[in-house]
Amino acid sequence: MANNIGKITQVIGSTLDAQFAEDQLPAIYNALKVEVTQEVSGEKVTETLWCEVAQHLGGGRVRAVSLGSTDGLQRGSDIVDTGAPVSVPVGDEVLGRVFNMVGEPIDGRGAVSATQTRSIHREPPKLDKLSSKTEIFETGIKVVDLLCPLVRGGKAGLFGGAGVGKTVIIQELIARLARFHSGYSCFAGVGERTREGNDLWLEMQEAKIGDTGKSVLDQTVMVFGQMNEPPGARLRVALSALTMAEHFRDSTGADTLLFVDNIFRFSQAGSEVSALLGRMPSAVGYQPTLATEMGELQERVTSTDAGAVTSIQAIYVPADDYTDPAPATAFAHLDSTVNLERSIAEKGIYPAVDPLASSSRVLAPEYIGERHYQVARRVQQILQKYKDLQDIIAILGVEELSEEDKLTVARARKIERFLSQPFYVAEQFTGFAGNYCSREDTIRSFEELCDGKWDHLPEDAFMYVGAIEEAAEKAKKLAA
Amino acid sequence: MANRRVLVKRRKAVRNIRKITRTMQLIATARFQATQNRATATKPYSDKLGELVADLSKAAGDTQHPLMQQPDAARSALVVISSNRGLCGGYNTNVLRKATAHIDAHGDDHKVDVHMIGKKGASFFRFLGRELDREILDLADDPRFDEIEPIANELIQQFVNGEISSVHVAFMSFESAGRQYPTVMQLLPLQQQEADGEEAPASTGEIEFSPEPEQLLDALLPASVRMRLFQCFMEAVVSEHVARMVAMKAATDAAGDMIKSITREYNRARQTHITMELLDIIGGVNALEG
Repeated sequence: MANNIGKITQVIGSTLDAQFAEDQLPAIYNALKVEVTQEVSGEKVTETLWCEVAQHLGGGRVRAVSLGSTDGLQRGSDIVDTGAPVSVPVGDEVLGRVFNMVGEPIDGRGAVSATQTRSIHREPPKLDKLSSKTEIFETGIKVVDLLCPLVRGGKAGLFGGAGVGKTVIIQELIARLARFHSGYSCFAGVGERTREGNDLWLEMQEAKIGDTGKSVLDQTVMVFGQMNEPPGARLRVALSALTMAEHFRDSTGADTLLFVDNIFRFSQAGSEVSALLGRMPSAVGYQPTLATEMGELQERVTSTDAGAVTSIQAIYVPADDYTDPAPATAFAHLDSTVNLERSIAEKGIYPAVDPLASSSRVLAPEYIGERHYQVARRVQQILQKYKDLQDIIAILGVEELSEEDKLTVARARKIERFLSQPFYVAEQFTGFAGNYCSREDTIRSFEELCDGKWDHLPEDAFMYVGAIEEAAEKAKKLAA
Repeated sequence: MANRRVLVKRRKAVRNIRKITRTMQLIATARFQATQNRATATKPYSDKLGELVADLSKAAGDTQHPLMQQPDAARSALVVISSNRGLCGGYNTNVLRKATAHIDAHGDDHKVDVHMIGKKGASFFRFLGRELDREILDLADDPRFDEIEPIANELIQQFVNGEISSVHVAFMSFESAGRQYPTVMQLLPLQQQEADGEEAPASTGEIEFSPEPEQLLDALLPASVRMRLFQCFMEAVVSEHVARMVAMKAATDAAGDMIKSITREYNRARQTHITMELLDIIGGVNALEG
């Protein structure tokens, strides 16, 4: 099969057609290889371009998605069927390295001597292999732990429009979780800014795991297909990172963290190639296979008996519209959804988590305990009441409310502010040192706040503090 | 995009609210004028009465009338004038805040009897868990003198009997249409020198008393107390209408702004929807042709 050579017959944007012998048709998902020779400032440079078979057109022709730039491709060039899907190196050797989507190192530290490789296309784990235990994953972020607790071995999504702080939260979670986490971490940079990937890489080199002196990067593998790359690469980069994570799960059994920033770009890349593949656009111009693609990816991100993969994904919400098909499709797959809200970010409250829209599968008394559940619900009730009263306040003013409602509003405003928290990664922006608030402290603080124990503190005291006692201290400082 | 039907419904609701607040504003304006006329109509009489009392008490020399002395009692009385109806901005809150501050200023060993006028104040005190010694909820919006008189008489009686050491009135004092402020006014004991009395020309010369000054004061001082209490009620009512007028004006404006922003949001949502449908159709057609 290695010598199954075809000819390129057509190049359309980032897709191309190739003609093979009819009895040697490459299978769907098979990787194809083309040597592209281009003249770069007088020199001839030859590069390998990877493609992936997406469709059989009949008569020995296949349509493939290019995983790199199609610049310089010529009709009639040879194209080689590798006989297998794209595979990436896996195993301990990849730790501490940075890859592109086809598994080539891009951190300039030479070749990777991995003994094992794995195809990026795999079946999701079988039903009977799935793990069924549910455990809370404490983050130390008050609003997340209280209202949308993460599940160990579960999936969490950070939804948010442009510039409300998705990337900051995901980086904060990396800083918090990877630092105290004993297993491996995988990071997939999907269609986001290259600069952010670079920052993250440098930060990880400096950050140490616990007090072991080892850098976080030594336990981490990063895969990038950022926004400058063609849609084919962005479409598959999440799979590459996922494949590495799967290997850690299956072979070592260690808890693995998988961070993806940003899943929306995956859907977006799919829609970019969809029309080129000749599919009729569906709602809002997305590919008709949107749900299938998302399902194939998300179903693989699961915990099995062998080990747990905890994944945290940022999901961009175009134009703050949560009904947009791309975020809506991702929604169903998640255990815990953290919705970021522009109106909260505009108030200067970070993390701008919408306490009423965010939720978690485990926000139920049987998982988190009766007390936590009651406190979370009370907080939501107070905030909901405040939201309901907002129109009245806007028209008639706060004076017209009944005394009970006035108290509710006052508490809601305090709770709203108390949900903010200083971040480790945002220290240079906020000027406050990062803060870890244990779940016990979080529950107690909000319980006391709902009980009215801290009604006497001014609203400002609740901004950017950890546990409630810090608010009391801050109030003293403000008064001074 | 936000659901358009929800937006339409909300806009309708806000429009209805605006209709109501605008009507209330107009009613408050009309009532304000009527009550102001009434308040100003009683002004010359109460001014003159004040003058007379001041003159008399000065002329009577160091007569010590019981209404001018402070009895030694661990109780005092506070009449709080709030409104029966809401939607008048900070009117009630301000008066009640002043009243509670006055009550709290006294120590624990001093009891303040609260005579609460108006539903709003009563419910506020009940919410705070404060004691109310008397609730008068049926005083109409335009209080008449014969409704106030019994209250005044009772307070005077208690004061003269030495049961209470003082009587204060907490109400929204009316200075002009643009200025009202919450006040706690001392009703009893009567202050020896009244503000009005000081300026009043004492040059009426010698006053001949007939009957004796004590007897005259016995009749005049309680009348003056009653009149002053009545005046407080009048001012409070005028202030209430002004407050409602202003609050409803603000509410009408705010509702207008809200309607505007909802309309804008609605139009945008509608346009987005149209664009999206067009894109879907055009995209579909092109895909079919191509």
